[in-house]
Amino acid sequence: MAPFVYSTLIISLGLGTTTTFASTHWYLAWMGIEINTLAIIPLMTQNHNPRAIEATTKYFFAQATASATLLFAAVSNAFLTGEWDILQINHPLTSTLTTLALAMKIGLAPLHSWMPEVMQGLNLLTGLILSTWQKLAPFCLIYQIQPDNPNVFITLGLLSVIVGGWGGFNQVQLRKILAYSSIAHLGWMILILPFSPPLTLLALFTYLMMTFSLFSSFMLVRTTHINSLSTSWAKIPTLTACVPLILLSLGGLPPLTGFLPKWLILQELTKQDLAPIATLAALSSLFSLYFYLRLSYTMTLTMPPNNPAGTLPWRLNPQHNTLPLALTATTTIFLLPITPTILALFTS
Amino acid sequence: MSYLMYILLFGLVLGLVAVASNPSPYFAALGLVVVAGVGCGVLVGSGGCFLSLILFLIYLGGMLVVFAYSAAMAAEPFPEGWGSWPTLRLMVGYVVGVGFAWGLMGKFWYEEDWLGFDGVVELSVLRGDVGGVSLMYSSGGWLLIGGGWVLLLTLFVVLELTRGLSRGALRAV
Repeated sequence: MAPFVYSTLIISLGLGTTTTFASTHWYLAWMGIEINTLAIIPLMTQNHNPRAIEATTKYFFAQATASATLLFAAVSNAFLTGEWDILQINHPLTSTLTTLALAMKIGLAPLHSWMPEVMQGLNLLTGLILSTWQKLAPFCLIYQIQPDNPNVFITLGLLSVIVGGWGGFNQVQLRKILAYSSIAHLGWMILILPFSPPLTLLALFTYLMMTFSLFSSFMLVRTTHINSLSTSWAKIPTLTACVPLILLSLGGLPPLTGFLPKWLILQELTKQDLAPIATLAALSSLFSLYFYLRLSYTMTLTMPPNNPAGTLPWRLNPQHNTLPLALTATTTIFLLPITPTILALFTS
Repeated sequence: MSYLMYILLFGLVLGLVAVASNPSPYFAALGLVVVAGVGCGVLVGSGGCFLSLILFLIYLGGMLVVFAYSAAMAAEPFPEGWGSWPTLRLMVGYVVGVGFAWGLMGKFWYEEDWLGFDGVVELSVLRGDVGGVSLMYSSGGWLLIGGGWVLLLTLFVVLELTRGLSRGALRAV
């Protein structure tokens, strides 16, 4: 793609999210989300193969539907209450409609079916932008919804955790696994929103760090399938040692960072007298842990059959930019001991 | 006056039904022309004369004309018209849907005042929308620049999606 066009698209991605972040009026917030959708479409089609075009079309349909529903909810709110302010959604109909529209935007169950298909058709870098940057603007709006009835959020969250775990069970394509992992983590974030919005933000930021590390790891060894993952242990041995820790952090095991949001969310749910829901969410994330363990098993814990030349790629001198991965992998693995600091940062 | 609005809105809904049940793009564009025309009439009746003028000029005279010419370039000699049985089924289905929605929501329309302007509406000299346009150029200047940027972005997006002939995104080009 020509550099001028490429920079216009990247700048517009930044502009869209910034507009949504800076807005108090629903119209401007919707505009920012639409700019994001529009700007990422050519980035998704830059490979020009039919699978990418199919993924782009599916993404566009899902996002356009969700944006139209969001605009309808905003206009209905203005019609019923006369308020255009984002914080003033008091009518139950428009509040629910806004929640559902934003849930479809970010890919929560039961509005999640576009997510694995779209991720599968993209290269890893575009998938990374889709999983991380494109979630920020809708989350900014979700954070500002003040729910009076937590039922919608609990349903969306619990269903997403279950679907994210169960759906990723039989997958061998890494991009689909990453999509289902995204659905599951978003489920945890939405689950705690009516009770403690700072925990939602905490879960979001830890998820962004963790998924960035995993995507970068896969990009470095250039693998998109479990088969090619199994023979990529020799490419960057240090990475082979770190990836299981990143995966187990995504799975939420102590003493890694990924345990932090789950722990605090379970604690908050128990305090709100919702222990069965907390138990169900915790048990459902065992499903996700299964496929994270399977990935670490294939990459690090076993050596599948390969010819001897497959054990030597580490001797070559590759051009890697490993700084982002180094930074995010460090935060993914080692942040649990400073939990009180992180809590103070988020609840101040 | 309310009889005129009633006729215009009736035409709007029928035109939208025609657009949604269109058998080929040319007739959908024709339906859109009708819808935009009566929609402009509804806007004028609600007090938004300037908005109606802009809609006519830009939407009908700019975008629809461009669409009609592009569709004409891909024309087929015998396009399917509205006189076919599947189209009739679709139209009846949409009209039933509209009736259903009217039954559900119909009683709300007459009780609320859905006009956002100053209250002296109908075909009077306006205050609402031209004032809004002048605001757009003064305090809303940054939003205008943002809107212009988004238009440029849309141009780049469309050009990027359609270039490359058969090696590009749309292989049929």
